[in-house]
Amino acid sequence: MSRRNLTHPPATGVALVSPALLFVTVFVLVPLVFAVYISMTNWPLIGDYRFVGLANYAAIAQDSAFWRSVGYTLLYTAIVTLPILVVGYLMAVVVRANRRGSTLLRTIFFLPYVIGLSTLSFLMVLEAQPDSGAVNMLLKALGITDGTTAWLVNGPLATILISVLVIWGVSGLTMVMLTAGMQGIPAELYESSEMDGASWWDRERRITIPMLRRTIAMSLILSVIGSFLAFTQFYVLTQGGPGRETTPIVLYIYQRAFVQLQVGAATALSIVLIIVVGLVSAAQFWLLRERD
Amino acid sequence: MATTTVDQPVVRTHRTAPHAGRKGDIKIILYVFAAVLSLVVFVVPLVWALFRSLQPNDVITAPANSATFFDLTWENFRGIAAEGHILRAVGNSLIVAIGTAVLTTLLATTAGYGFGRFKFRGSGVAFALIIVTLMVPFQAILTPLFLQLNAMRLTDSLLGLVLFYATVNLPFGVFVMRTAFAAVPDALEEAARIDGAGTTRTLTAVLRPLIVPGMATTALYAFLAAWTEFLGALTFLTKQDLYTLPVSLVNLQLGAYGQVNYGFLSAGAVIAMIPCVILFVALQRYYVAGLAAGAVKG
Repeated sequence: MSRRNLTHPPATGVALVSPALLFVTVFVLVPLVFAVYISMTNWPLIGDYRFVGLANYAAIAQDSAFWRSVGYTLLYTAIVTLPILVVGYLMAVVVRANRRGSTLLRTIFFLPYVIGLSTLSFLMVLEAQPDSGAVNMLLKALGITDGTTAWLVNGPLATILISVLVIWGVSGLTMVMLTAGMQGIPAELYESSEMDGASWWDRERRITIPMLRRTIAMSLILSVIGSFLAFTQFYVLTQGGPGRETTPIVLYIYQRAFVQLQVGAATALSIVLIIVVGLVSAAQFWLLRERD
Repeated sequence: MATTTVDQPVVRTHRTAPHAGRKGDIKIILYVFAAVLSLVVFVVPLVWALFRSLQPNDVITAPANSATFFDLTWENFRGIAAEGHILRAVGNSLIVAIGTAVLTTLLATTAGYGFGRFKFRGSGVAFALIIVTLMVPFQAILTPLFLQLNAMRLTDSLLGLVLFYATVNLPFGVFVMRTAFAAVPDALEEAARIDGAGTTRTLTAVLRPLIVPGMATTALYAFLAAWTEFLGALTFLTKQDLYTLPVSLVNLQLGAYGQVNYGFLSAGAVIAMIPCVILFVALQRYYVAGLAAGAVKG
């Protein structure tokens, strides 16, 4: 102990970690506390403000546009969550076989995630155009539509298109997490079940999925939180429209704060969002850990 | 953690040798089918995007016409170079992404050293405090951050954006670097200390080779996060000269630079795509090592 303290003086340890602590304090913790304060004022972006107590929170109940954005976010989350898990799981099953080309496939599956939703959304802007876009060309070639669909100006169609784009774009993340989890499953488990003549699906159901429960929980949490915080793909592809039809929560808060310049009210909504996101991670952890 | 690489065999099961014969054949056929399907679904759209970026605006916006569809030109890229807005944004994005990677790695490495190798009162609390910020979605503290950065004269500033991005990437980086330092054997560091090396020298000469994979993981994540980030840049930058590439492209798309040129949009998106693809393919093992660390130890 004393020798370790000589070579590793505690004061040096403190000095080493302080810059990181300072950053986190200044750019996360202080804003967090500041947010609570702002949410109790009528702060406009420019000009004087006045303390209003809990009035911003009371107003949330009557804010029908906010509740529509909550409903829309829940709908979007409900649409994409399961497909992301299933597609990611199937990708993991394909690459874990470790045959020729598995490494290449793993790279390919993950590329869209690395490229990022902002860039993927810009590419989709072109391909969603009526007549000229690839989405319409493909559907017309397959005889499904006449190729003139204006995807981005119709709420339900835009939601479908964005959901497909997101499932395609982010399933690779689930795949990598599940693949890492699958590495930890002892081979003997599969060998004995293979001797019992169990089918592929039996093995997945009895061995892989139970063994991966924690990893599956983690990927579900990440994907649900990602959906709750969705912004970029909606801002780029529909700007929330037509009307407010495709406006998720973060986009609504952004518009309240930086377009309508109602910073106080927007921050109260942000606080609600922080609490909801916190509850989601807590609830999912609890649900999926119960049986351990 | 750097030992978990993608290149390793994933699962040792599913050896077909003892079960060769018909069952093995079916598995191979299924695998080939899945592989081909995957290539079509995941590679074709990206190759298509490259192809599109070489089509002029009027071809991109017209219904497919075999007479002009394959007339590829560098027109869009030349246009971007001449037009200025997007080219400038590419430069801004590079500055911000490189700055974020350097700053995040520096902060995470020193903190990782402190947390991984030193004992001091409050170490556990301080580490928890940094990790807990992972759960605070930055999307939800944009308003106080905006007011605060404004008061610090850090809005409309690439430096401000770098400080913000570095903070967002810090919890993950500190986690990765603490794991990297904790994996270094005590004896190695002791030996250096006994030979009279100070803290800085121990860090740079003795520990560096062992922690470089962790640093690469941290830097890669920070770079890619900063390069593709949209909401923060959109909020904190209001001057056109300072826009990063995604913000510049959304302005292009919404017509802020005059009539929308889909050729430029397509080429700009491809420019945004290229560093991600190159860095990921080249440094994939560091990327996946980071993900695996997060997933398994979560």
